[in-house]
Amino acid sequence: MTESTGKTQIAVTVEGISKKFGAASVLEDINFEVSEGETIVLLGASGSGKTTILRIIAGLEAPDSGRVILHAKDVTKIPARGRGVGVIFQSYALFPKMSVEQNIGYGLRLRKKAKAEINEVTDGLIELTGLQEHRKKYPSQLSGGQQQRVAIARALAYNPEVLLFDEPFGALDAQIRTRLRREIRALLKEIKVPSIFITHDQEEALELGDRIAVLNEGRLEQIGTPYDVYTKPATEYVATFLGAANLMLGIINDGKFEAEDVFLKIEGDVPVRDRQSVKLVFRPEDVFLRKPENLTQNYQPLTDGFIEEVNFVGAFERVVVRLNISTRQPIIVTRPKTETTAFPLTIGQKVKVGLVRFRILPNYTLASERASRVV
Amino acid sequence: MSANLSGIRHTRGFDVIKPLSIMTLIIVMMPLVLLPLASIFIFGTSNGLRSFWNALTAPEAIFALQLSMVTSFWATAFNVVFGLFAAYVLSKYNFWGRNALIVTISLPTAIPTAVAGFALLLLWGPYGILGKYLEPYGIHLMFTAAAIILANIFVTFPLAFGVIKPVFDTMNQSLEEASATMGATRWQTFWHVTLPSLRGAILSGALLTFARSVGEFGSTILVSGNLAGRTQTAPLYIFAKFNEGQVEAANAIAIVLALFSFLIFSVLFFARDWLEAE
Repeated sequence: MTESTGKTQIAVTVEGISKKFGAASVLEDINFEVSEGETIVLLGASGSGKTTILRIIAGLEAPDSGRVILHAKDVTKIPARGRGVGVIFQSYALFPKMSVEQNIGYGLRLRKKAKAEINEVTDGLIELTGLQEHRKKYPSQLSGGQQQRVAIARALAYNPEVLLFDEPFGALDAQIRTRLRREIRALLKEIKVPSIFITHDQEEALELGDRIAVLNEGRLEQIGTPYDVYTKPATEYVATFLGAANLMLGIINDGKFEAEDVFLKIEGDVPVRDRQSVKLVFRPEDVFLRKPENLTQNYQPLTDGFIEEVNFVGAFERVVVRLNISTRQPIIVTRPKTETTAFPLTIGQKVKVGLVRFRILPNYTLASERASRVV
Repeated sequence: MSANLSGIRHTRGFDVIKPLSIMTLIIVMMPLVLLPLASIFIFGTSNGLRSFWNALTAPEAIFALQLSMVTSFWATAFNVVFGLFAAYVLSKYNFWGRNALIVTISLPTAIPTAVAGFALLLLWGPYGILGKYLEPYGIHLMFTAAAIILANIFVTFPLAFGVIKPVFDTMNQSLEEASATMGATRWQTFWHVTLPSLRGAILSGALLTFARSVGEFGSTILVSGNLAGRTQTAPLYIFAKFNEGQVEAANAIAIVLALFSFLIFSVLFFARDWLEAE
């Protein structure tokens, strides 16, 4: 299967994967693709099914239905050892009685490669992952970060079809985590092997992924670039899982969002009918707060409110604003230092609340509405 | 060595309970364990080293020691291999009757050794349930070294298994999964990944089985016939010589067996950390 030049090839296809454990449905009709050299992050809470998808792609679990295709080969019926995938486990699973070198060379030894070739590949990978000083050591003598690098080198040794990372940063300290994340991303860009990460950490997902797939209770809610998934969440779950979000119920009336006392003009195409019940979604950092006398023009006014709480959170200020509508709904607003120094606000102060950006999502309160999905 | 040391002060001045309880412990152990062990050495060397050496190098004595070592070796070899295999199967697979099998494997420890020996005779003896079919072909399993090996296998059956299975149960499954994703067959994974992690357990299982085997008496005396110079193991030799009134001869072998057991258990004790290492 050859693609025309200029178009990226598809490395991994997951098609219609479903899985039940007993009566519980763990995965429901999962579909996505990973292109050559791309890094996809499967993001979801525990129990969302992300680990199960990874294990199904690796061949450690069998799906109830659907297919897994690696580089145009249907591997669904093939056991793990025949798939040529590289898995980096959460605990790294380094072989304790083998040295770093021996761990890395294991895959090639299994394939009965010549000693010279094994040494050459091992040397190259040790160089790539910066493990020269540790090559003769045993896993118990290595730090978490070093163990992770061995795990990656080991998986790369036999030219895997795809790299699968199972929450690789979970066992590490926060400081090391951010540094390693960047190192791994740089490494993956260099070797151009398609990779799939699973994580529950949204910051990690935003930083690591070329695209993010958000999973909720066995369903793929949205897949897209970090920017798209963050600024244009397709569902309420995605909006609230990735970053914080304020929600307000209302309806669409004559092409405008309407809640009591609130009128917002909607720009661009919004896939909702007139008179439909919707949810307004806006992020704390997209809210503008000003004293009535300091108004500017470049925002859509939401309503009035007053400051209930002000919290200093280091790089920015987190403010709770109580809105002047009958629901007296509180919203969360974050203000950067530039705002707080230029326009300081205190508790009890009356403010005008405006939105720089927002999203309209259909409000699925009825099962039938959810089923139809297309509006 | 695991301990639960307490640093609490219980009294204002000198706490007499600590030295008192330690002394009590030793005093109780004296007549029960410490003195009997000491007696073997005190008595055995009372007539001088020359006498001891003569008793030790008597042909029947040497034969008894050799027979003990050889039969114990084969029983250990079999039980370690089988124990490994059984631990693998019973740890990995779930099936109807699994728990019953685990209990059955552990049964031999609960059965009195004399009963075990007797049962073997009933099965393999010349008029035994299976033995009677072998008799016409001239195959006599009982009253031979083979019988001793069979009896030892029965009696020490659960020992190696009992040491190895917990290691299988607590083994990190990810290791085997990692090996599989890297392209290994089940056998390759077992050989390269699982077995090295079992080194310690296999060694302690083997030592335990061997030590127990060497010391086995109850079943051996029944199935071997206790024929001096033919089927008489070291413990049987001690028994026989004592009955004949040749105390010195018995004593010499007793010392050897005691020292041998000390050696094995020292290894098991002091190398425990290495043996249990991941």
